[in-house]
Amino acid sequence: MSNSKLSQSISTDGADPKISEQVLDVEKDLLSMESYSTIGNNLVEDAKMSVRNVNVFYGDKQAIFDVHMDIKKNEVIAMIGPSGCGKSTFLRTLNRMNDTIDSCVVSGEVTMDGENLYDPKLDVVELRARVGMVFQKPNPFPKSIFENVAYGPRLHGLADSKVDLDELVENSLKKAGLWEEAKDRLHQPGTGLSGGQQQRLCIARAIAVEPEVILMDEPCSALDPIATARIEELIEELSQNFTIAIVTHSMQQAARVSHRTAYFHLGKLIEVNPTETVFTMPEHKLTEAYITGRFG
Amino acid sequence: MTELSFENHIMTQFDEELEEIRTRLMEMGGKVEQQLKNAILSIHEGDSKLAKDVIDQEKFIDQMEKDLDDSCILVIARRQPAASDLRLVMAVTKAVNDLERIGDEAKKIANHSIILSGEDNKKSGYPEVRHIGASVSKMLSDALTAFARFDAEAAMKTFNQDVQIDLEYKTALRELMTYMMEDPKSITHVINILWVVRSLERIGDHTKNLCEQIVFVVQGKDIRHD
Amino acid sequence: MSKDNRKKIRESLAKRNRSERHFQWFGKLGVILGLAAVVLLFVDIISKGSGAFRATYIQLEIEYDPDAIGVLDVNDTEELIFANWQNFAKKSLRDLFPEVTKRGEKRKLNNLVSEGAGFDFRDQLTQSPNLWGTKETLWILADDDIDTYYKSWLDDDPFSARLTSEQIKWIDQLHSKGLIALKFNTKFFERGDSREPEQAGIKGALIGSFFTLVLTLLMSFPMGVTAAIYLEEFAPKNKWTDLIEVNINNLAAVPSIIFGLLGLAIFINFFGIPRSIPVLGAIVLALMTLPTIIITSRAAIKSVPPSIREAALGVGASKFQTTLHHVLPLSLPGMLTGAIIGMARALGETAPLLMIGMVAFIVDIPGGFTDPATVLPVQIFLWIDSPERAFVEKTSAAIIILLSFLMVMNFIAVYLRKRLERRW
Repeated sequence: MSNSKLSQSISTDGADPKISEQVLDVEKDLLSMESYSTIGNNLVEDAKMSVRNVNVFYGDKQAIFDVHMDIKKNEVIAMIGPSGCGKSTFLRTLNRMNDTIDSCVVSGEVTMDGENLYDPKLDVVELRARVGMVFQKPNPFPKSIFENVAYGPRLHGLADSKVDLDELVENSLKKAGLWEEAKDRLHQPGTGLSGGQQQRLCIARAIAVEPEVILMDEPCSALDPIATARIEELIEELSQNFTIAIVTHSMQQAARVSHRTAYFHLGKLIEVNPTETVFTMPEHKLTEAYITGRFG
Repeated sequence: MTELSFENHIMTQFDEELEEIRTRLMEMGGKVEQQLKNAILSIHEGDSKLAKDVIDQEKFIDQMEKDLDDSCILVIARRQPAASDLRLVMAVTKAVNDLERIGDEAKKIANHSIILSGEDNKKSGYPEVRHIGASVSKMLSDALTAFARFDAEAAMKTFNQDVQIDLEYKTALRELMTYMMEDPKSITHVINILWVVRSLERIGDHTKNLCEQIVFVVQGKDIRHD
Repeated sequence: MSKDNRKKIRESLAKRNRSERHFQWFGKLGVILGLAAVVLLFVDIISKGSGAFRATYIQLEIEYDPDAIGVLDVNDTEELIFANWQNFAKKSLRDLFPEVTKRGEKRKLNNLVSEGAGFDFRDQLTQSPNLWGTKETLWILADDDIDTYYKSWLDDDPFSARLTSEQIKWIDQLHSKGLIALKFNTKFFERGDSREPEQAGIKGALIGSFFTLVLTLLMSFPMGVTAAIYLEEFAPKNKWTDLIEVNINNLAAVPSIIFGLLGLAIFINFFGIPRSIPVLGAIVLALMTLPTIIITSRAAIKSVPPSIREAALGVGASKFQTTLHHVLPLSLPGMLTGAIIGMARALGETAPLLMIGMVAFIVDIPGGFTDPATVLPVQIFLWIDSPERAFVEKTSAAIIILLSFLMVMNFIAVYLRKRLERRW
């Protein structure tokens, strides 16, 4: 959200101008600040992924400012913030999905298990096998359910035989909670499933290559509440085996599924705290204002 | 976070709902405060009519409690409040409970007041009642003011007044014990006074809870049982 | 809502509905006009051209007598080449009309049958020499003027400008004896071009068009598709690619004759490729259709949702794998449509081919990609330019063939599209 839009939304409906000015002041400070520090416990002891000094530029425009953050092993971390705050961009730096955009430049360091992901020697294909991704819109390939799940393992040669592959597909579908619904129609097109089932198919496709981290970019924004609940339940189960970073524009979803919550504002990482803290007593004024629906 | 506002939500209806909950809580607080004052006054004045009035009014407080609880549930269901909004709503549901209990205690005091007014001019123990009554009234009044202003510092001060009240309560107990030993015939009378003092002490405890809720709303800190 | 407002809405509603109706009428009118034009074209072409599929034949009894054609030794090939084969037919006609004795009349009589009849006799006898000395009753192709007259006479609108009264009388006699008739014109589909309208066939041009188109497709489709994929998926977006894009779009709008000039200047004069051959025509037509194929292929690639690419990249497919496994199969139907549009344009193209010599008069049917050839539209151009009246129906027939060719191509395209799309 641009600064002018923010000030508008705050100043027009406020009977008490004091508070809106306060929020605005904080935001102005934030904009002018060259360096800032994230509030809360953004750094942890046993980090799976570590992000240090990360800046992201689209051409001349800077989208992410100096982010420092750790992602713990087997945790679900939610990224929230107003639209345009850079949360999706940040998520995409974690598996270098931003590489596909020509004008996008990433500086700083992202490491997974101590390995620098932006090392020129590292093959991005291997990285994406280790860091899977689920997208906003369910995007199954226009192929059969089986082919959808088998695509990744086949690509990387993970299954030695047809039997192996069958088993892998079955396990992935089971983990994604889709086996019961899909076992009788494995060879029918994946696009014939319902929206929620398609998204679970995409999750099955992502976990079929057994990644270590799964990134989810607003995975439920196109789904109805029941399908959303299924996916959320699934996220909870998957966190036993995978590290999950999820971007969501539903604060309630972040509150429901995540262990830690990170709040982004205008490309800056404002606050990272355990989810229960963020949703009961956030430390930063902007987090509070966003969480309580003052803007967003 | 020192200053708190429950305005400027994108949905202005939400602002209004929270504002209404606050206003009605203040209304209920004022009503309870009045009940307490009237109950104490009825003892001193020997005014059984005032005491009856207090007893009659109690049902309105019960109704206010129910209504406020319903409003809070509705806000939770409809708006899924978070952070300070959530703390406010949760604090209000608890505060309402405490206020209702204070109302109950005031009613008990009024009951005893009616009994006391039927006795002939025995005034032993009244100074103690006046003394504690004044302290408790002031504490309740301070607590409600702090609630109205979301003033955590004032709430902490008020919270600490309870220590004083407990002390006064113990002193009063000893005094009343002496009266009973001096004049065994006055035991019935003194026991009534004892109940009144006991109720006042309970009101002090509930007021303390109110202060805890204010600190929780403003600072997000839970100071219960610290 | 106030009554006043409702009234206003009701009034404006009538106007709105009326304009919608008008719009529909205009639309329907446009469709009807278009259909009428197509129907008119087809009726005209078919009515004019259908005659060419049938030709007038005269039944003659032919005696394969070497003396008749002045051949002494039937095994002497040199003598056979120079023999006057046409005499078989002439002799048979004279036998049929013995009363004709005058020299001028005789020539008119001889003119009843096609000049090409002699070549048929030669081919026949070279193939099976044991026919020498035997007799055979044959249907011999009539001359084009006779053909024109007989067809118009059958239609009760005789066109006799190029015939003498004797010739008309002879045709009457033949007709009453049942010795003259319309038969299916197999020669039209078996022969190349000829100066004699009754001998001229479409096969040369058809084969020429086929060879040229096959080569054009083989050259332009892979190149166009790969160029489109590169530009759309791999090329960096900068001012150079912008420049290329603008130029490709401009190239699509360049008049086709310019491509002909290019072929003439570069491929014939500089590279020394022989003129008139399908390879050269195909190169020129491929260059011409390339921009169309690139543009439509890029549009087809663009229409593949980015989410599919993201999905593939997300599970760790490389850029090339993503393109090969997902983008290409999904955009192939669209690319095929583009290719067919380009091919259809190439099939109907005349101007550039005139420049590179495919307009030459070629009698032989091309046997390969490097034999001199002509193509259907150029053949039509050549025939419509010829003075003989019989070429009018030949021209129309060639147009029918060209249109059928186009329709077959379109059906193949639609079929391929359906098949490819059904897989998903």
